[in-house]
Amino acid sequence: MLLPGMIFLFIFSYIPMFGIIMAFQDYIPAKGLLGSEFVGFDHFTYMFSLPDIGQIFSNTIVIALGKIVLGTLMAIVFSILLNEVRIKLLKKSIQTVVYLPHFLSWVVLASVVLNMFNLDGTVNQILTFFGFEKLNFLGSNKLFQPLIIGTDVWKEFGFNSIVYLAAITAIDPGLHEAAGIDGANWWKRVWHITLPGMLPIILLLAILSLPNILNAGFDQIYNLYSPMVYETGDILDTYVYRIGLIGREYSFGTAVGLFKSLIGLVLILSANNAAKKYTDRKLF
Amino acid sequence: MKRNSLFKRVTMLSMASIMTFSLVACVEKEPSNAADSASENGEKIIKMGRVTSANSKLPEGDTYEDNAYTRLVEEKLGVKIENAFEGEGEDYTRQVALAISSGELPDMMRVDSREELKELVENDLIADLTDVYNENASDYIKDIYDSYDGRSLEDASFDERLMALPATIGDEAPNMIWIRKDWTEKLGLEIDSDGDRSITLDELEKTAKAFIENDPGETGNPIGIPMAYWLNSGSYGGSALNMTSIAGIFNAYPRFWLEDENGKITNGSITEGTKQALGVLSDWYKEGILDPQFGTRTWDDIMALVTNGQTGIVTGPWHIPDWGLSTVREMDKNADFEAYSLEDENGKVNVAHTNPTGAFIVVRKDYEHPELAIEILNLFYDELANSKDLETDYPEVAEYKELGVDGSTRPFNIEVLKSDNLLFDYSTIMGAVNGEIEMGEIASSEARDAATSIKKYTENPSDADTADWSKYHSRVKGMGLIDKLTKEDKFNWVNPVYFGNTETLEKKGANLLKLEEEDFIKIVTGAEPLEYFDTFVSNWKSQGGDEIIAEIEAINADRSNE
Repeated sequence: MLLPGMIFLFIFSYIPMFGIIMAFQDYIPAKGLLGSEFVGFDHFTYMFSLPDIGQIFSNTIVIALGKIVLGTLMAIVFSILLNEVRIKLLKKSIQTVVYLPHFLSWVVLASVVLNMFNLDGTVNQILTFFGFEKLNFLGSNKLFQPLIIGTDVWKEFGFNSIVYLAAITAIDPGLHEAAGIDGANWWKRVWHITLPGMLPIILLLAILSLPNILNAGFDQIYNLYSPMVYETGDILDTYVYRIGLIGREYSFGTAVGLFKSLIGLVLILSANNAAKKYTDRKLF
Repeated sequence: MKRNSLFKRVTMLSMASIMTFSLVACVEKEPSNAADSASENGEKIIKMGRVTSANSKLPEGDTYEDNAYTRLVEEKLGVKIENAFEGEGEDYTRQVALAISSGELPDMMRVDSREELKELVENDLIADLTDVYNENASDYIKDIYDSYDGRSLEDASFDERLMALPATIGDEAPNMIWIRKDWTEKLGLEIDSDGDRSITLDELEKTAKAFIENDPGETGNPIGIPMAYWLNSGSYGGSALNMTSIAGIFNAYPRFWLEDENGKITNGSITEGTKQALGVLSDWYKEGILDPQFGTRTWDDIMALVTNGQTGIVTGPWHIPDWGLSTVREMDKNADFEAYSLEDENGKVNVAHTNPTGAFIVVRKDYEHPELAIEILNLFYDELANSKDLETDYPEVAEYKELGVDGSTRPFNIEVLKSDNLLFDYSTIMGAVNGEIEMGEIASSEARDAATSIKKYTENPSDADTADWSKYHSRVKGMGLIDKLTKEDKFNWVNPVYFGNTETLEKKGANLLKLEEEDFIKIVTGAEPLEYFDTFVSNWKSQGGDEIIAEIEAINADRSNE
């Protein structure tokens, strides 16, 4: 029964791996994979010789880390708070509302965000109403990263909280009762019972998200950025897209992709070891 | 246990077989050189890649493969044209890419960029046309290409060998300033004090200010002059909403390769004039004369601003009424535009010649009759174009013109016209509008359509269709301005010295453009002071600019030595 699945995986995931060769060639479509000239690590040296590459790496990591850390925090806090809501109908409707954005693509959400945050947008109208200066969120290098991270956290935290909610329900209610009898207040119970109960899941998920450190979210940034914020908004994927598309540099694109995968592989292996060490759960 | 190992074996076996198959699939096919270029009855055959158009207006029964033009080729040259593939726009590009990557080219086809052409040359897939061109091309055809001072053929040449037949693009400069005429009238503004349709920077600034202060569009949120964030383009006709016209005042031509006063190659983007132009834009940004959200607006955003009536000043080429401003008229029946050019202190309009080529016709390397490509060229762009009496010489073609059948139905979907063709078109159109020549005498169906539309518009401007409105604006006002400036000798033409690609340009060009876009935006929006331009120049040079300049100098030196 496993066979169809394995064949599928093999055809669509393993065979395309031969394409990696492109990263070490000057790939010319007419000559194909077997005919193109090998250039070794040329594309990789070129990648690291690009003047903006440092900036782009740091943007990528800052944005991705921001999303992971803040997204996790928001999801944990939200799930703990939601767990306290005792009215079932209210709980369900809150959940539905916060899950919703997860199911919309950035192409759609970007226009919402653009309308909210541009110079004449809702946010700026509120700011001017209270006597503040207008802020150019989409054109300011200071505000763009917070905007990207903030809107991504808003989109995903509800959906991410599902796992944490499940973890909370798995905690023995007897512990809470006992603590209550001993006179622990709500805050103490959260701190000493709920959080430790969730800890393995939190660590596992945080560690699992590490390999994504170089995936800062192409579609979100591509739909929101402009040259004004290339300086802080340009991530590896958007940069490669622009350079690769304009210059038709297939090989260069592949080289960068391969490099990203390598970092991902290293991270997932170390994450797996870390997971075993701290949570005693191992992925493979 | 046993079942398990059997399972393993089956899996291994299937994996091995898939791997073999996939490797086999990777091995390329030999390009098919099978020469079946003659049909049973001895007639020659050309298998051609054809660029089609959605509304070709072909009469019933006729197709791209079998129509008046292909029948003409069959009759005159004894060649049957068969379509290897047909496609429009993206679809055609994909077909060509497929043909190139599979190595199975049609006998002739059109490619749409020099990069594609280069790929074909590098892979040794297309025929050298130098000799067949020299032997077969008619004098008139050679005249056409010569009217571009060799720039046109050079673009299709590699190592001095002509590898393709280039289409031609005439000069379309300058980028004009299009201003809402109904607004200036409403506000009683006198823009052009001397009435010569060339305005100064000062006059433009005043108009923009008046529009912002008085909000003639009554939107409650008027904005200044909108510009696209890329600010510049390597051609005049290709895009709008850029600073080309303003740079021209300072004798600057961003993104063009030029020779400076010492005979050294330089790029227009790094010249002192460009710095001055950026200084103007940056002042404008501070004062709100430039769109305050400059840099973050997409093309669609900007077109929406114009259409909503939030702004009434747009920079663009003569044909922008046909595809950009027409939406304004669609929304607002009172909308009316006037075209102006920007003049420098001496009253001159500074412009650069545009890259004269775009598309190319190529012939497959092993095709037996490469001379047929030149013969088709002669037939369509000389004999047919110069026919004094189309009705009697080529009745079927004359009928096509009458029906308004799209020119794309010709075997080669390119234009090969003299460099002053735009002005020639203008004079025929105006001749027909003024009744000096008969509509039917206009050879090109496009010009005839335009003349008919303009006539309709001038007879009844208020009820005219948007199409008639835009034809009137693009031809009478746009082309008309170019004609006027040419006749008055107000243009100061600059000749860029290089249009091609070099090795470094190909590799680092995209990054240099990114650097330019980013830094220009920073300077205009005041994130960096104007002096930062000097930093940009030194970065530009060190990040590949100097290498590219050296390469171009070497290439041009090679050329002049021969």
